[in-house]
Amino acid sequence: MSQIGLDHPQQKSAMLNEATIRWSLWLGSKLLRGLSLLCGASFIIYATLRSAPGDMVDLILGLNGTPEMKADLRAEFGLDLNIIEGYGRWAWRALSGDLGISITFMPGEPVLSLAGPAFLVTLSIAVVSLLCSIAVAYGLAILLGPPRPRQAFLLGPIQLLNAAPSFVVAICLAKVINELIQFQLAGGGQIPPSWYPIPTYQKITDSIAPFCFAALSISLGDGLFTDLFNALRAELMSLNESLFISAVRAKGAAVRKHLIKNLIVPTLSVFTARLPLVLSAVVIVEYIFTLDGSGYLLLQAAKNRDVPVVVGVSLFFIFAVIVMNLILDLVKALVDPREVAKGD
Amino acid sequence: MTGQSTGQSTRQSTWYSTWYSTWHSAWKEQPLSFKLSSIIVVLVLCFGVINPFISYDPVLDVELSRRDLAPSWEYWMGTDGQGRSVALRLFKGIEAFFFPGLIAGLFAAFVGGVLGALCGYFGGWIGRSLSAVLELIDTLPRMVFLVLICTIFPPSILLISIISSVLFIPSIATIIRRKVEALGAEDYILAHVAHGFHPLKIISYHILWLQCRALLTRQMIFVFSYVLFIETALSYLGDYGVQEPYPSWGNMVAQSRISAVAWPWALPALAIIITIAALLAFGDGIARREEEVKR
Repeated sequence: MSQIGLDHPQQKSAMLNEATIRWSLWLGSKLLRGLSLLCGASFIIYATLRSAPGDMVDLILGLNGTPEMKADLRAEFGLDLNIIEGYGRWAWRALSGDLGISITFMPGEPVLSLAGPAFLVTLSIAVVSLLCSIAVAYGLAILLGPPRPRQAFLLGPIQLLNAAPSFVVAICLAKVINELIQFQLAGGGQIPPSWYPIPTYQKITDSIAPFCFAALSISLGDGLFTDLFNALRAELMSLNESLFISAVRAKGAAVRKHLIKNLIVPTLSVFTARLPLVLSAVVIVEYIFTLDGSGYLLLQAAKNRDVPVVVGVSLFFIFAVIVMNLILDLVKALVDPREVAKGD
Repeated sequence: MTGQSTGQSTRQSTWYSTWYSTWHSAWKEQPLSFKLSSIIVVLVLCFGVINPFISYDPVLDVELSRRDLAPSWEYWMGTDGQGRSVALRLFKGIEAFFFPGLIAGLFAAFVGGVLGALCGYFGGWIGRSLSAVLELIDTLPRMVFLVLICTIFPPSILLISIISSVLFIPSIATIIRRKVEALGAEDYILAHVAHGFHPLKIISYHILWLQCRALLTRQMIFVFSYVLFIETALSYLGDYGVQEPYPSWGNMVAQSRISAVAWPWALPALAIIITIAALLAFGDGIARREEEVKR
């Protein structure tokens, strides 16, 4: 392309148009993919529901269902239709916000109003713990520099953390906290300390301490921190030795800006890959710290065989994973438009 | 015969001495973490195989007069809140995850390996539709889906292990697929294609067996450790896994987490951590060794 051609206004607008088309194509394909994933995943859940042994309505309602309730439930899950039509009706109802009504756990309560606020808690625990462990992993990687044999003493425990499931970490943490509280109780007070209220929370501010403990045990457990640390350290090292950073350094410019910009994409990839695992870990950890999130809700509902609540919460999880993936893909493309420019 | 061919050893060497010396030299150059972890893995394997032949009686023996005893010669790891030996229960608890884990690992490695190889080798619409299905399975959060399955179906550890192995097939298939895609362009595979080998023979022998053995073993061990994790987690929650009097590491932790002494809950928790760490290190060690041998 010649110098003159680039300056020509018509050429510029043509290039702009091309870029817009490419972006919208990319966005459209991503959206389509997300939508088809959502459809497929919810269909898997629906098919699982339909394949339940025996009559599903009896399973859900137990022995105390009236015929009207049974008919209502049949209509809701589309059991009187074949599987494709039934799925269509069920999915349409779910999309319009009607996820059914809780049956045994909190009778009469709509599932959406139960699962929605609870899911916000879960998502915030997951995101906070992921962000925290990414920040600490970067800090440690920068602090330690390239791997040296003398660091084995320090890194051994970090590698051992790889193997501790988050619920074991959470139990140990809860045990330590219980010891602390009992210690205070023996010291004369009858009431547990104000920073750790048990077991239910009246206000949101009450649950800050258990929230922090849950986030801590998730970011330490399941190898989350170790994997992040290893991946980010390798990334940092390879970036540090790459030619363009050397060039920047040779010119005497600030390296940090270039480093940070180039680290965003791998970090986001790690974030995307880890989110479903972290959401799974949140389920048990919430249960241990009796946090009022959707994990706690899910397990309580499962204990009471409250199928609509369990299905609603699972749908929330799947929806969150897909939407977060979409958002992260978009951020990645904004930071590094090469993938969009490649086209497909 | 082997002695003459190497030309170094003057002693008569038999098949077992050759085997031993190769094994010994390979063992000596392994890092300490691999040695420790393989000892633990072999112990778990032995215990797991012996376990079904041992009766439950001493494990279920409740005797309140000897509750919360400290570790001693008679009770190596002390006793729990109901006077049962923690060491025996730990040992018997291996049964809860051992065979389900083996089944799940083998199933996931086999199906994941075959699907990944098919995707990578054929590409085209077969590969694309298969990878779409696999991506779909990968979007389901594992724990949540397992809880859903346990709510709808009558929970059993076998069902849980099969479902968790199905949930792991996509990640295994993706790893194998990348490897196969990289291998498919190599000259010797193309040479086999040109010689008219059947594609299934190339996939099953030249690609999967010769090149992906260590990778698949590692993934199998990974699935095994996941089944250990999920079994202990579900038993900890109490409704789906192994039910009380019968021991599982998860329900041992759950049952004695409010006990006044540390060993009934700390030792099973430690056992979970150490076993998973050993399994992961063992799998990594196998994969690393294979890489070194290839180079």
